[in-house]
Amino acid sequence: MLQTLLPILIFAALAVGAAGAVRRIRLWRQGRRTPMRWHRLALMPKRYLNDLHHVVARDKAIAHTHVATAGGFVAAMALALVVHGFGWRNPILGGLLLAASLCMFLGALAVNRRRIDPPPKLSKGPWQRLSKSLIAYSVGMFLVSLPLVGVAPTVLGGGVLAIVLAAVLVWGLLEMVVGMGWGGPMKHAFAGTFHLAFHRRPERFDDNHPDASPKKTHDVHRGSRSTALFPLDLTAKTLGVEKPADFQWEQLLGFDACVQCGRCQNVCPAYAAGQPLNPKKLIQDMVVGMAGGSDAGYAGSGHPQQAGGIEVGKPGFGNHRGGPTDAIVPQLVEAQTLWACTTCRACVEECPMMIEHVDAIVDMRRFITLERGETPEKGAAAIDNLIATDNPGGLDNASRLDWAADLELPRIQDRPEGVDVLLWLGDGAFDMRNQRTLRSLVKILRTGGVDFAVLGEEERDSGDVARRLGDEATFQRLAERNIATLSRYRFARIVTADPHSFHVLGREYGAFGGDYVVKHHSTFIAELFDGGRISVTAPTQAETVTYHDPCYLGRYNGEFAAPRQVLAALGLEVAEMERSGYRSRCCGGGGGAALSDVPGRARIPDMRMEDVRETGATTVAVACPQCTAMLEGVVEPRPRIRDLAEMVADALVEPTAATNATSAPSQSREEEPA
Amino acid sequence: MAHEALFKPIQIGKLTIRNRVVSTAHAEVHATDGGMTTDRYVKYYEEKSKGGCGLCICGGSSPVSIDSPQQWWSSVNVATDRIIPHFQNLADAVHKHGGKIMIQITHMGRRSRWDGHNWSTLLSPSGIREPVHRATCKTIEEEEIWRIIGDFAQGARRVKEGGLDGCELSAVHQHLIDQFWSPRVNKRTDQWGGSFENRMRFGMEVLKAVRAEVGDDFCVGMRICGDEFHPDGLSHDDMKQIAAYYDATGMVDFFGVIGSGCDTHDTLANVIPNMSYPPEPFLHLAAGIKEVVSVPVIHAQNIKDPTQAERILEGGYVDLVGMTRAHIADPHIIAKIKAGQTDQIRQCVGANYCIDRQYQGLDVLCIQNAATSREYMGLPHIIEKSSGPKRKVVVVGGGPGGMEAARVAAERGHDVTLIEAQPQLGGQITLAARAPQRDQIAGITRWYEMELARLGVDVQLETRADDSVVRDLQPDVVVLANGGHPFLEQVPEWGYSDNPDESLVVSSWDILGGKVEPGKNVLVYDTMCEFSGMSTADYLASKGSTVEIVTDDTKPGVAIGGTTFPTYYRSLYQQSVVMTGDLGLHKVYREGDKLVALFENEYTGEHEERVVDQVVIENGVRPDESLYYALKERSRNHGQIDLEALYAATAQPTLAESGDFALFRIGDCVAQRNTHAAIYDALRLCKDL
Repeated sequence: MLQTLLPILIFAALAVGAAGAVRRIRLWRQGRRTPMRWHRLALMPKRYLNDLHHVVARDKAIAHTHVATAGGFVAAMALALVVHGFGWRNPILGGLLLAASLCMFLGALAVNRRRIDPPPKLSKGPWQRLSKSLIAYSVGMFLVSLPLVGVAPTVLGGGVLAIVLAAVLVWGLLEMVVGMGWGGPMKHAFAGTFHLAFHRRPERFDDNHPDASPKKTHDVHRGSRSTALFPLDLTAKTLGVEKPADFQWEQLLGFDACVQCGRCQNVCPAYAAGQPLNPKKLIQDMVVGMAGGSDAGYAGSGHPQQAGGIEVGKPGFGNHRGGPTDAIVPQLVEAQTLWACTTCRACVEECPMMIEHVDAIVDMRRFITLERGETPEKGAAAIDNLIATDNPGGLDNASRLDWAADLELPRIQDRPEGVDVLLWLGDGAFDMRNQRTLRSLVKILRTGGVDFAVLGEEERDSGDVARRLGDEATFQRLAERNIATLSRYRFARIVTADPHSFHVLGREYGAFGGDYVVKHHSTFIAELFDGGRISVTAPTQAETVTYHDPCYLGRYNGEFAAPRQVLAALGLEVAEMERSGYRSRCCGGGGGAALSDVPGRARIPDMRMEDVRETGATTVAVACPQCTAMLEGVVEPRPRIRDLAEMVADALVEPTAATNATSAPSQSREEEPA
Repeated sequence: MAHEALFKPIQIGKLTIRNRVVSTAHAEVHATDGGMTTDRYVKYYEEKSKGGCGLCICGGSSPVSIDSPQQWWSSVNVATDRIIPHFQNLADAVHKHGGKIMIQITHMGRRSRWDGHNWSTLLSPSGIREPVHRATCKTIEEEEIWRIIGDFAQGARRVKEGGLDGCELSAVHQHLIDQFWSPRVNKRTDQWGGSFENRMRFGMEVLKAVRAEVGDDFCVGMRICGDEFHPDGLSHDDMKQIAAYYDATGMVDFFGVIGSGCDTHDTLANVIPNMSYPPEPFLHLAAGIKEVVSVPVIHAQNIKDPTQAERILEGGYVDLVGMTRAHIADPHIIAKIKAGQTDQIRQCVGANYCIDRQYQGLDVLCIQNAATSREYMGLPHIIEKSSGPKRKVVVVGGGPGGMEAARVAAERGHDVTLIEAQPQLGGQITLAARAPQRDQIAGITRWYEMELARLGVDVQLETRADDSVVRDLQPDVVVLANGGHPFLEQVPEWGYSDNPDESLVVSSWDILGGKVEPGKNVLVYDTMCEFSGMSTADYLASKGSTVEIVTDDTKPGVAIGGTTFPTYYRSLYQQSVVMTGDLGLHKVYREGDKLVALFENEYTGEHEERVVDQVVIENGVRPDESLYYALKERSRNHGQIDLEALYAATAQPTLAESGDFALFRIGDCVAQRNTHAAIYDALRLCKDL
């Protein structure tokens, strides 16, 4: 009986699942349309098996589990279609089907074990059911396929047991096939497949991209660290994303691929600080918005401080509602949730489905800022200042060089023949703390005999903060003016001690016609060491040092090595924090978060300083003015915070008179000890 | 950004100054070798530049002529070409750290002493005697006028050739230029006196000659007074007229403005306002000058705090703030602001130890910072951590010497315990600060308290240290700075007893410390003639007592420096305190409910009596030596300080030896000296610990 029923069940499941899939595709296509590039579907297998797998494989057990379960299912499903669906009852295929089912069963057992007492990052609800469904499918398929190899279990004969087996199989097919199309947990496989194919940042999958990581290990992204925000068309009718349908359709597709694994939740600094942002919930909110309805069905941790709270599955969800053409804020997502993000990209880095949380958040911020003018208070003040004075502090831009009045910095305006290095000061030039870093950097450049100059008052804010706060108009204006300024001067490369300027000038100005070689000062100093242009004295006292990776240097631009090379050149041993490198925890200062200052249970920099303390380090080396400011805001006693440039400048061997004979008198200038 | 105005660079002439903070011209009394700016001088200014000071104007009253005596105050001698290479060293040292340096040049006219060195005849427009220096002088002749004008030009040339960034012509403090200006001193009827233009002529000719010599690009400024505060002197309006007159020439790049003339003791005290003055008391005068001139105005007088300086600059009263004593107390003031260590700034308290030494012809030192002007000896402003063994250091006594010893030892990285019997730190500073107008001296203690807390020193208050308490701490080094007690037992006839009910006399400590209520009719007998006796009299008077202060010396307060005794006198005279000199106290006895004090005149031997309610005696401090002798024998160095090493400011040899603890004692527990002496010994003893 079952043998007769099986093809009907399979085809029926496929048909119903397909109908659901069509509905799902329609949901995705509510987003802003872009031309369909069907050929990209061909890219999917490599992206799935290679790029996605590398991220998943950061957790080996899960990777193995997923390979067994998913691989077993895909094989079992394909074989079942052939064997049971089309009735090609070949014993070899039957054997393979049994093997695939067994493989899937073993994987499903592992999944099930994980679901006995799931860690808080995981969602419950249907996801708790999934492991059972996987077992049902694999067991059912195994048993029903045994006759193919000549074994005839009695259950297949008929009667109650056969009915039970049929029910098990139906359950399995409903979950695995129908659910895939209609939005059960297995939706992730279907949406994920398309999401990988039509991903908005194809460079992320390109191992041969010019800025792809040279390191081909599991633990780093192998393709380009495609991190530049997409430019916004300022002539569009609506600026930014007001409602789910305003997202580009690939983004909606991406949200739908989420497996609610909670890796993003685990690494999000705002979530850890108890600010009302859980990136996983946010993505699920987007799915709710896309499909219409409320978040009542959500069974994971919520946004801290909001209904539902952070306890897994705690009742209370359901207050937030959305629809594809309904405004997202505040009905579906509260504005505080969006302003809590530091744009650190830890979530994006960890996401096995390669979902782009930060793009989505900035898209929604753009609407709030540009259309509603509701940037939170200090953020609004910073933007007003940027508009009025070209810097976020509202200071006279002509005072950008005040700190260096005694250094007599060479001006690029006086060097029509061009210079090797244009030193981009950044807005840290207005900050007394960062001026110490800049003075140190100048000392290093002079000691290394680097031919450099500065723009002085012609330099404007890079636009980083404006852009992350959603004010794309101010960003583009600043970018265009900076690019126009830069176009008047000749220089081989730009060096900056500010990772935000580094990122924006190096990665984001390209879209506006500004293509420059930009180096972060850590990279440049490492090169000076390599070239033997500077040397340092050995440390006098043994000291434990740790290094804090700035997000915009590390995760955004993949520079993890140079700062560590610099510390090694100083003769220092680095006691790495548990969260370092691509997994570094944000200082809390990125993305305008320091301005929006959303209250939480803890302060992000305090948590980061705890990470530092755990290493036993007495000094934390930093490489970003923002990180410096945030970490120095942690109350003392705490480890010292020193920029790499300061550490190098202090240890520099001053060139002797003989070797310095050719340099200008000003090059022997010393720093004040401040 | 905090302190935005303070750190705004400014253009003076062709010169860019990195911030708005100036160490203004003061006589350092550091120039040696006939007025050359040798090592000590250079390092003193290098430290300020290293510490971030924008502009240093050095060499207050540096003479350009050989008849303006240089030696009395070890001034910089700008009257000879020999100075030029020394200036080059000075300029290099300051420029190396990004600072700028100028020098004040002058001819002091009558404001000097003639009784030494070349036995110069002093000069003045009308030969009128100067009271402060008791200086008689001749009336200057036309030939001498033109010679001195030429000397100014040559002096300016030497400054320029030496690579300094500019020079300031002194027309303040009653030097020759403003002696010509002031009708109080200039009674001439020729072309150099009388009318406004005539009185201005000498200064104008000097300015023209200097400008002609150094050209347009070299910075030349003038320091002027804002108001002489003499009815027959130059008023504020006169000074505005003068400033505008010189400014109109376009030859002056900046004006420095000081409130008050200074050819009397009373006005002199205004010039360097001590702690009895409010903040920036004469800013309004500088602001008045700024109204009428077109170039930057510098003002220095009681500006000690970065926030105060910022407020003044933000208000636009002046363009640059002079923070000269602030830099003497802490040459790293700017660096500390920039490093966010504002609360680590050692702030000037206006004790005027620096300037009062200067007026005695002694090198300028800071009451609380013993490293200042001793940079050349290797005394550090920033104390390096020791690379040697970590020691347990026990300091007994929380007065200035003990606090400095604890601070320095802790900066060296040692484990430091400070034991103090009183409920608060400060020692005698706490008593000194109780007097009217003297409260700011407590700033010394405030800084130490914050530093000791920052450095994690274990401060045990209300703990009396005996030898077992000290030994229980198992120290490697013991520094005794436990002071002493008022020396009332010296003359038994004074009737002092340990039992307060029997004692006929009380001490200045009893009064200032609040242990004894002020009497109605009080006699203060003061053998020291320093701050303590005057403060006690002032305190008593302020509490309503009728007070006479008597000394066997020539006059009460006679040992107090020139910028501080006037402020005591102002207060004591106002309160009708009687000040009597030349009487020695022979005996005190009780008669009914009154006390009778029997005096003998030093010079006639005649006896006098006073019948009073209370006799307060200030007879200095007797060291408390018992703890020292209890510990001495066991210590490995028997309490001896190696003087060769101490004076050379190098490590005490005993530190390298083994054995029981090393024992040192400093400050008044050895013999009474002063705050600076205690702090200096503590620093040089502990800096190599």
